[in-house]
Amino acid sequence: MIRQSDGVSLSAVITPENVVFIEGTPSKEEAVRQLTERMLARVSGVISRKALFDRVAEVEKLNQVLESGFYIPHAKFPELDAFYGVLGVVPQGFTDPATGLKVKALILLLSPHKPAFFQRHLNMLSLLSQTFQPELIEKLAVLKDPAAAAALVTGK
Amino acid sequence: MVPNPRLKQVFVLSTAMLSFISFWKAASVVLCDFGSSAYYAGGIAMKAFGPAFPWFILGVMLFSGLMLGVYTESCIMFVRGGVYVVVREAMGKVMAKFSVSALVFDYALTGPISSVTAGLYLGGLLSNILPLLHINWHVPSRAFAVIFAILVTAYFWRENIRGIEESADNNFKIIAFVAVVAVLLLGWSGLTLYQRGFVLPPFTPVFSEEALGWTVHFPWLKAVGLIGIVMAFGHSILALSGLETLAQVYREIEDPKVLNLKKAVVSIFIFSVLFTGLLTFISALIIPPDLVAGKYAENLLSGLALELNGPYWSRLGMQVLVVLSGVLMLVGAVNTSFVGANGVLNRVAEDGILHDWFRHLHKKYGTTHRIVNIIAVIQIVIILVSGGDIFLLGEAYAFGVLASMSFNTMSMVILRFKRREEEREWMFPLNIPYNNAYIPVGLMLVLVVLLSATGMNLLTKKVATIGGLAFTAVFYAIFYVSEKLNEKKAQLYQPDDDSDEKMNLRREADIQTVVPELTKARRVLVPVRNPNNLVHLASVLETADDDTTDIIVLSAKIAKGIQSGGETMADEDKEVFSAVVLLAEKYGKTVKPIFVFSNDPFYSMAQVAQAAGADEIVMGVSGSTGAEIQLERLAMAWGMLKKPGEAGKPVLAKVVWEGRQMTFQLS
Repeated sequence: MIRQSDGVSLSAVITPENVVFIEGTPSKEEAVRQLTERMLARVSGVISRKALFDRVAEVEKLNQVLESGFYIPHAKFPELDAFYGVLGVVPQGFTDPATGLKVKALILLLSPHKPAFFQRHLNMLSLLSQTFQPELIEKLAVLKDPAAAAALVTGK
Repeated sequence: MVPNPRLKQVFVLSTAMLSFISFWKAASVVLCDFGSSAYYAGGIAMKAFGPAFPWFILGVMLFSGLMLGVYTESCIMFVRGGVYVVVREAMGKVMAKFSVSALVFDYALTGPISSVTAGLYLGGLLSNILPLLHINWHVPSRAFAVIFAILVTAYFWRENIRGIEESADNNFKIIAFVAVVAVLLLGWSGLTLYQRGFVLPPFTPVFSEEALGWTVHFPWLKAVGLIGIVMAFGHSILALSGLETLAQVYREIEDPKVLNLKKAVVSIFIFSVLFTGLLTFISALIIPPDLVAGKYAENLLSGLALELNGPYWSRLGMQVLVVLSGVLMLVGAVNTSFVGANGVLNRVAEDGILHDWFRHLHKKYGTTHRIVNIIAVIQIVIILVSGGDIFLLGEAYAFGVLASMSFNTMSMVILRFKRREEEREWMFPLNIPYNNAYIPVGLMLVLVVLLSATGMNLLTKKVATIGGLAFTAVFYAIFYVSEKLNEKKAQLYQPDDDSDEKMNLRREADIQTVVPELTKARRVLVPVRNPNNLVHLASVLETADDDTTDIIVLSAKIAKGIQSGGETMADEDKEVFSAVVLLAEKYGKTVKPIFVFSNDPFYSMAQVAQAAGADEIVMGVSGSTGAEIQLERLAMAWGMLKKPGEAGKPVLAKVVWEGRQMTFQLS
């Protein structure tokens, strides 16, 4: 059961429509690119393609894969008023060149770039890393259905 | 599957300096040295210039208030100060070497003068007690004093080789006992004076031939006037030994450091004036002058006890108390001389001016045994040469006391101009603001007094001048040669003000084993990495209540891979902790330094904070990533280390930098 933490909830971010299964063994950049494409469809009304891709590419240099093998590329945009997420599941996984860790799950997270949201942004990051433990990632990797994946993560 | 262990090795660091003492304990440490002169200063001064001695001993003790003020300013400026650092900063290494050489001469004499005095007091007591027990042994006082002094020196030689720390608790107990004896003595003396009446001693010093030294060849100098007063003052200044101990102990004083230093200084001053100054004065009022110069010359306070009004048994009982308190205090001063000389020589060795040979560590105890051996041998030779003659020792004494006080005061005057922009928490009074500086009129007046006394002592105290100059020259030569030998090494290793902290590293299997050592209600974790970026630690030290808060200082060294290897602490890691210890000393607050090898610093922070049940994590801002990214990484590490669904204790995470801070909650 995933606990709601101080106003942040995974169910608002991870829905079946926002789950992408990535086949094969893509590079880290390729996996992030696919999630960004899916994200663009959700935020195209407020963020331009160029701004989104440029910003994600920029933060990608700073973001690190967690030791649990979960990766959270995240960026903040002043145009946003809510969290947006796209979950990627890579059944065969890819190897992060920086750490050598095998990554089978990643989430592209966009947050509002507003002071009032920073606490919730931290809570969301904490909640995501708490949720995506190696056991859950292994279970996710064997699923085929986005709805089942979203349900496993959100506990609904 | 549980993620790989992130803390591959955990070390807990400790140094002698991570616990702090109250102001009264600090005052007792100083008083064991400073106050011990009460037992011999009066007799030595009487021998030098006659019955006027109590005025000058009292005058010197009042002057000690001014000197304590000078040392208060220098201590606040240099937490790890002492005359070496203060003089080096003001006048450079050459003068610093001179000042330390003179100081070591004083430490070399402090031991013998204290142990011989203790032996003389004890011998005097035995001479009174043995006949009552029908034991007809004649105790030759000086021979007994020499044997006793050698035994005491040998004892502290062994203790210091074994590295037993000087205990502030023991000093406090000694001073408490001495204070009780002093109150009894003062009370009883008051009653005696009330019953007998008294005549004030003459103010005019009458110098012995020996006390005039080389001035005997200049009869015009004998004229009583200002010169005579300075001469007598110079012969009494040996009562002032122990100020360097204040500089050494300041680093150990607890928070609020400056306030506690002031309290300690006031306590030392009051105790010294009452104990050394007033008791010496009262001795002169109660003991007939011929007995002061004769029978009680070597144990004045015993004489005071025995000359009080009352039955003999009660006076003998008072003498027992006086001798017991004196022996405890004087023996403590012997230890202080070992600890002080060893500390000062180690300090200069860290600065590259003493050859590494001297710092060789004892195989079993890890102490600088060669320095301790040298101090012990010098002290024993001095004891033997003196033959238990306290006046000879007194004649040699005070060269280093005056030299170090003069150097220190002169340096403080220079630093007022050299470091005019530096804000001082306290300044010696009497200052005239001029051109962005404070002209230290008060300090300059004190310096004039000291230089006058120094100049006069050079002329009048032949043994001190010859012995002091010879000793200083020998030590200066040792420092000079050592420095040359270390020159190449010194170029490679840039000496830092306060580096080379002696640290004990204790390896722990897991962070959990350290947790029981955290006993306070509140816990703050302070991660550190850069010794030049400790603003966040300073902010914690400034505000945390030491009684209720454990401050855990964490340094995480990144070691890639997951295997636990034989990682050890590198010099740069020690540098971080040296800076941490210095800062903790500055604020007088205890910290718990922990050093870990980890895959990721944020995991180690989160892991230690969760294991320790931290209430706050206070980080310094990273120049490479910035505060927001630091908090994001910490939040992710925090979440990852929690079990899914686990609520956990909320923790405040702060990033602090100059004038700003970001605070968020990790839940």
